[in-house]
Amino acid sequence: MAISSDELRHLADLARIAVSEGEMTTLGADLEKILGYVGRLSKIDTTGVPETENGPEVSVLDVDIAAPVEACVLEALVENFPDRVGNALRVPAVFEHPKQ
Amino acid sequence: MRDLLEQTIVSAQKGLEDRAFSSRELTEAYLKQVRGLNGNLNAYLTVCEEEALDMADASDARREKTKALGPLDGVSIALKDNMLCAGVPATAGSKILEEYRAPYDGTVVKKVKDAGAVILGKTNMDEFAMGSSTEHSAYGVTKNPRDFERVPGGSSGGSACAVAADMCVAALGSDTGGSIRQPAALTGIVGFKPTYGRVSRYGLIAMASSLDQIGPMTKTVEDAAILFNEIFGHDTHDQTTIEAQSFEWKPRTDLKGVRIGLPRQAWGEGMTDGVREHVTQGVEILKALGATVVDVDLPYIDEALAVYYVLMPCEVSANLARFDGIRYGLRERVDTLLDTYAQTRAKGLGEEVRRRVLLGTFALSKGYYDAYYRQARKVQTLIKRAYAKAFESVDLLVTPTAPSVAFKIGEKLADPLAMYAEDVYTVGVNVAGLPAVSVPCGDHEGLPVGMQFIGRHLEDADVLAAAYAFERIPR
Repeated sequence: MAISSDELRHLADLARIAVSEGEMTTLGADLEKILGYVGRLSKIDTTGVPETENGPEVSVLDVDIAAPVEACVLEALVENFPDRVGNALRVPAVFEHPKQ
Repeated sequence: MRDLLEQTIVSAQKGLEDRAFSSRELTEAYLKQVRGLNGNLNAYLTVCEEEALDMADASDARREKTKALGPLDGVSIALKDNMLCAGVPATAGSKILEEYRAPYDGTVVKKVKDAGAVILGKTNMDEFAMGSSTEHSAYGVTKNPRDFERVPGGSSGGSACAVAADMCVAALGSDTGGSIRQPAALTGIVGFKPTYGRVSRYGLIAMASSLDQIGPMTKTVEDAAILFNEIFGHDTHDQTTIEAQSFEWKPRTDLKGVRIGLPRQAWGEGMTDGVREHVTQGVEILKALGATVVDVDLPYIDEALAVYYVLMPCEVSANLARFDGIRYGLRERVDTLLDTYAQTRAKGLGEEVRRRVLLGTFALSKGYYDAYYRQARKVQTLIKRAYAKAFESVDLLVTPTAPSVAFKIGEKLADPLAMYAEDVYTVGVNVAGLPAVSVPCGDHEGLPVGMQFIGRHLEDADVLAAAYAFERIPR
């Protein structure tokens, strides 16, 4: 199964991965090869066969209650944040052209 | 000093119990070995020297004052770097997590800590466990201790190398398509993948959640059973863990009355002559131990690798969406939010990971979902049925673990499909959620060959008991 470069670009957009033009060629060829291999599944007759279920059979969802967290865990979470001023966590603006 | 490094969990516990050595002496010996070898082998990404010695001292004090906590108390172990251990880096072999430090202990880590184990450090792996050689680690390849020009297998290659090179007594790995068993086979150790749902993955950096399972990598089958006994069990933090489950270690010395099936599909073409020679001899040992060995048919098992390479990338593309440069890890500073995601992921994720994310994105996208994902889930059902049918007439299945012995570094790097084929004998077990163990069954030209025992759902004890009987026979 061949993937066009437009399709590959679209996939990269969906996956939120920047792909350079140079990389596009090798990636396209690799994906084509892998899809060529897994394409063998289409030859198998699965009429009447259900999909495998692998969720738990009983409901095991917890009640959604905020659990207390130790101060050191909180600190570690904040420490891992890539950009912050003290305990204020800084994220990129959602709007693409924020007012300066 | 040398004999301190040849310990199993069982012998180490006895030595500690008899006061032949202290946990500090044991820990110091392993740390010295790590310092000496890690520059060449690259088994560890992080060594927790100070913390390990503190844990060892605490263990010695415990033993002095009251009594040891159990078989792991004071014993030096290593963790694959996708497991969270509070305060310690957890990179999962990726640049995107280079600066990340685990904020809490994962369930298995907490369990081994509570059992008194001394954690020496975190071991190298293919990035996010995607690979069969550790060549896809962002921190360099791990070498096979038997031959430094060869890979140790993967993705738990660092843990396998650490055990094989006496850089720890035992280690934990994770297995999504063969990542415990294949490196165990290639380095000549024991690697056990428990039944899916046996061991909690809370605090394991997820790869493909419907397949991931944590398990022991050890020098002996008995050690694997001991370590498994410490980590298995239901956990409210992992909804896939099975609620009522038990495990009783019942080692066997013979295999009388055990029916073993050799799946025709696994014993045909595909394995190298060296592997065939040793696994065939292994089967003779099984017969000599009293097992009834028969050929069995496992229809659709040839499709397991294809099923895996649809389902796994789909789950990978979802699980790895969290690495977006916002909450933790690397963040590329660019103008827009969309570019922040795209540039961070382009820079932080390696080639193989990006390839699988795109593959999964493709298989889940509109117009392709039915043909790929849904069809793979249906074939998965056929594979599970095939195993169930085979287990009506046999108690265990036996196959080679990997198609060849350890290959040369770089040999399969340019060809993703050749690398994927490393998992051809192991992946069906994950697709069906079964327990399986790889046990050494001889050396071909100095390189280890592994034999795989596969058991029924939740019959982990039977798999280990048979492997134990097999392991005892000298060869």
